[in-house]
Amino acid sequence: MLLICGTIPQEGAALITGEAKFDGSKLFVGNTEIPCTQGTAALASAACVVAAHFQIPAPQAVFAGDTGAGKGSRLLYDYLIKNLPRINPDILLMHYILPVMGLMKQVCAAADKCTKRPVMMADASSMYAAKAAGLAPQFDIFTPDLSEMEFLADAEAIHPAYISRHLFRAEIAHIDKLIDAAYRQKSMAKTVIVKGAIDHVVQEGKIKFTLSEPDLPALEAIGGTGDTISGMVGAFIDVGLTPLDAAVAALKANREAGRYAQATPATKIREIISAIPQALKHD
Amino acid sequence: MFFGGKKQNKFEGGGLVLFQVVEEAIASEKILKAAQFEVKLVAPPPALRKGCDLAVEFNIVEKAGVERTLIQKDAHFVDILPLKGAGELLDIVKVKDFNDACMVKAGNMKLTFDKKTGVILNISGGGCPDIPFLHLSMVDKKITEVARPKDNGHTLCALMLDRAFVEAWEIFSKGAS
Repeated sequence: MLLICGTIPQEGAALITGEAKFDGSKLFVGNTEIPCTQGTAALASAACVVAAHFQIPAPQAVFAGDTGAGKGSRLLYDYLIKNLPRINPDILLMHYILPVMGLMKQVCAAADKCTKRPVMMADASSMYAAKAAGLAPQFDIFTPDLSEMEFLADAEAIHPAYISRHLFRAEIAHIDKLIDAAYRQKSMAKTVIVKGAIDHVVQEGKIKFTLSEPDLPALEAIGGTGDTISGMVGAFIDVGLTPLDAAVAALKANREAGRYAQATPATKIREIISAIPQALKHD
Repeated sequence: MFFGGKKQNKFEGGGLVLFQVVEEAIASEKILKAAQFEVKLVAPPPALRKGCDLAVEFNIVEKAGVERTLIQKDAHFVDILPLKGAGELLDIVKVKDFNDACMVKAGNMKLTFDKKTGVILNISGGGCPDIPFLHLSMVDKKITEVARPKDNGHTLCALMLDRAFVEAWEIFSKGAS
């Protein structure tokens, strides 16, 4: 079972739990409709599409409303700390949650109490918290974009906003150096999927796969195109793929979905998600 | 070494508010606690010390919200800094041209707008929980008619988005004039 945990942009911090369903344009968790926008909603929607395509059970979701003040995030941490051993998911995918290092450590400790430790995935601010708290080696999959890869490579940085200037200037030409630095500093999960103009899949500090076609520069501008990759990776692992194969499948499907959607900088993420079924059939 | 023994020192916020005098630190701690931020009075490390030897530690990710709250309450402080790493927010801004659209990138945040109309077409990147909220509030609206991200956001991602927003606003204004 894939458990997706993250905040949604709603006032009020109540928890929303249940099966996630995407009907082609709208996301539902239980009976609650969630706006399919950039962020955890896009991630969960993409995961639902993959699950439906392979006819496996839909992902389970734990969401909380949070517009940035952190109340909903703290509810999510608390929920996971108390309930993770009971839920015992195969995969835990943590996403937009206010980074709180101490609470992330407690979530990892709760994961250790599961009958079988879940595949631990972190994207977005959950990845920031995991790295800043020195927990990266306890995670199986990180999904940074290039600027977040620079953050992982900066030993001192506790958020991408505070990375060293020279790293931010490095860009793609030096990605191998960023990977090497992050790996030496133990800031890498076991598998790291670097999303960008050229996608990279890295394991044990080594680049195992790259992808640059179809070349769609507009995808970088569209909010949520990294979220959809992370959601699909989680779902592909739930299907039974290895992390490497899941990464490759998700990266290919995301680019193909962008092509089918004829992505421009004005395209919205729901249009990309709606094109994922077509991309999966193509593959 | 921070105040308190090992048993008390569980909070790892990663950010410090520095003050000129102890009274300002104590008053600010009360203000931030009342606003429901998780904070703690600590002694700043010598390398970061400016002013008095008492500081407020907070979750550095919430820098935008903490700074705004202190300013709104007329609290006096010297500086707000991360405990580790670069002391200043990343200030490099990059611009990418998409013919009809322009993408401005500041750190991990990207804002794309229509060059003719100034409408914000997309916001991408980032990971803090106020970003989906800011995305909903700003996308499909004209850049000259929305509030700055730092006025509504709470986190470091919001501050980086604010840098991209300011640059995009200037590019659009120059193009329109």
